[in-house]
Amino acid sequence: MTRLRTGLRQWKTALPFILPGLILVILFSVYPIFQNARMSITNFNVLTQKSQGFVGFTNYVRAASDPVVVTATVNTIVYALVCIPIEMLLGLFIAALLHSGVRGNLVYRALCYLPVITSWVIVSLIFRYLFSSGQGGLVNYLLGGLGLISAPVAWLSHRWTAFVAIWSLEIWKSIGWVMVIYLAGLQGVPKALYEAARIDGSGWFNRLRFITVPLLRPVTVYILVNRVIGAFSAFISIYMITDGGPMNRTEVLLSYMYKAGFQYFEFSYASTLSMIMAVLILMFSGTHRLLIKEEK
Amino acid sequence: MRNRVMMIALAVLLCTTAMLGANGTEEGAEKAEKLVFWHTYSDGETALFEQTVLPAFEALGTGIEVEAVRMPYEGLKQQVIAGIAGDAGPDVMRMDLVWVPEFAKLGGLVPVSQREGFDSLKADFFEGSLATNYYNGEFYGIPLNTNTKVAVWNKALLAELGITELPTTMDDVLKLAQGLEGDDRWPLAIGGAGSWGMLPWFWTMGGQVTDEAFTRSTGYLDSEASIQALQTIADLYAQGQVGPCLLGEEPGTWGGMENGNYLMMDDGPWYYSIVGDSALENTVFSTLPAGPGGSVSVVGGENMVMMSTCENQDAAWEFMNFMVSPSTQITMAEVGMIPTRISAATDPEAAKAPYFTTYVEQLKTAKPRTPHPHWGKISDTLGLAFESVIRGELTAQEALPSAAQTIDGFLAK
Repeated sequence: MTRLRTGLRQWKTALPFILPGLILVILFSVYPIFQNARMSITNFNVLTQKSQGFVGFTNYVRAASDPVVVTATVNTIVYALVCIPIEMLLGLFIAALLHSGVRGNLVYRALCYLPVITSWVIVSLIFRYLFSSGQGGLVNYLLGGLGLISAPVAWLSHRWTAFVAIWSLEIWKSIGWVMVIYLAGLQGVPKALYEAARIDGSGWFNRLRFITVPLLRPVTVYILVNRVIGAFSAFISIYMITDGGPMNRTEVLLSYMYKAGFQYFEFSYASTLSMIMAVLILMFSGTHRLLIKEEK
Repeated sequence: MRNRVMMIALAVLLCTTAMLGANGTEEGAEKAEKLVFWHTYSDGETALFEQTVLPAFEALGTGIEVEAVRMPYEGLKQQVIAGIAGDAGPDVMRMDLVWVPEFAKLGGLVPVSQREGFDSLKADFFEGSLATNYYNGEFYGIPLNTNTKVAVWNKALLAELGITELPTTMDDVLKLAQGLEGDDRWPLAIGGAGSWGMLPWFWTMGGQVTDEAFTRSTGYLDSEASIQALQTIADLYAQGQVGPCLLGEEPGTWGGMENGNYLMMDDGPWYYSIVGDSALENTVFSTLPAGPGGSVSVVGGENMVMMSTCENQDAAWEFMNFMVSPSTQITMAEVGMIPTRISAATDPEAAKAPYFTTYVEQLKTAKPRTPHPHWGKISDTLGLAFESVIRGELTAQEALPSAAQTIDGFLAK
């Protein structure tokens, strides 16, 4: 009884602090998720804001047999598998360089972070022009000039070459963020450890292998979770650069969901796709949580 | 005591606000009725609309105030949905005609068939244009302007090939253009593998999408003639007779015309109103050269529709009537907006733009895209089938039968 009372008293003290956040989360996250789940099992008309009857799991069955959903899921996963390792390796590399005390550290840091704050829409358009087909495309011009390609490549007309453009944009735009987080992590590694290792005669690689990497592990997990969520929410670049084309082959889950909702007005189907996405993201970030727990 | 004072102060405040509010509405009722009108007119069209058409409407003294909002076409459909769902959309809109059945089905539009004067208006519209407003027994709008695409020829390349008289059949075009291929030059520029780009050529080459009543695709899209038509276009592309713009690659149609990459493309009257004088200097135009199916282009255009969120429906109907009136249509014809009223289209006053008569001539044989709420999906199905054949991944014989069956499914919904 006293425990209950203590508990209640603690809640009473804490509530005013968490209440504003809680209300916002309920209003803008919890409620939409439930509404979304409801929409996915009913026939929802967005203009009248009414559900026209219960349809059960028909939308889920349809999604399972929709070839575009399969392509989009594969594309989303490949997007994450290609971009995240490169972003993290390059981000860590640049962070380590800057941490070692290069001159003009601040300038380099700002320059590397600049892509992060640019507008997705504008840089997507720029990348579309960079990768345009024919002799006039800058990438074709440069690669041709270097003798790396014999004829201009129609980058955006084929699935994987189009993804080269989309991936490059994602990597270019995210390295800066990874770099900043790693840099903060590196500053938290006690210098004494390196000094001790040096006295014990350990080389550069061993210091990296046995001190830097293990101590940065929590930071790495944090970056990984964030980048996975980021990769799953990739949309603007695909919408602006290829719009899912050619022939739906560069569609990702989010772009296809947008098409289902806002081009075909099938909001119930779009909700279904977003539920599938939510499950996938939960699965990935759930694994990460387990990883962190193990660590503890 | 303090509390009581506060309560009284609050009550006084509430009463005053309520009274002020009531006054506000009374004043509002005396004021002009306001309509929000969304359109996607180009620069030249907007200038004429705002400087001539709108003042003419205001001069009528109807007491209706129109707030015209120019919207970008890109992402417009999404904006309209968000607008209607959030009650922040327009009252009246100039809407792409292929969207009308779709929005009507969703309940986003007000039917106008029962409105005063509709029956007498009906007779003066071109039948094909009016039909694009029809859904489930009612008309959900009135046709504002129509358009189509005609053949646009590059003057410099014509001179280089020594062509003095424009060819009237596809066979002649290909014969006369011999020797043009290669060196970044192509005889034909087709704007894309989607339905808007491909349909004129598919129809001209003898293809069909559905029956005349738009109820069935099997037996039409998968017919021998359709298969032949699509395969011919794909073969022409493979032989380098059709330029890379067909698959969205560079040079694009307009840039390619300007730089002498293409001998001929097909495009709408906006090509002239957007590009301006240089387009008229560097090109000549004619109806599409005929193929086995004739010279068949695609009907485009916009309709005036009233949104379901519109509160002043009578005012909206009055404005819609003014917009489709012969005098307004003749004014807008100056910038290439082809009238949908027979009386306006046949008025010599309307034919001020030099290309006007060619477009009107082409319209006589032009076909509409399937007017159906599921047109978006039908169009995507067609586009996928066309593109897979043009890319050489499937033959027309393999691609069209399954596309026809898929489209049958959408037509039945």
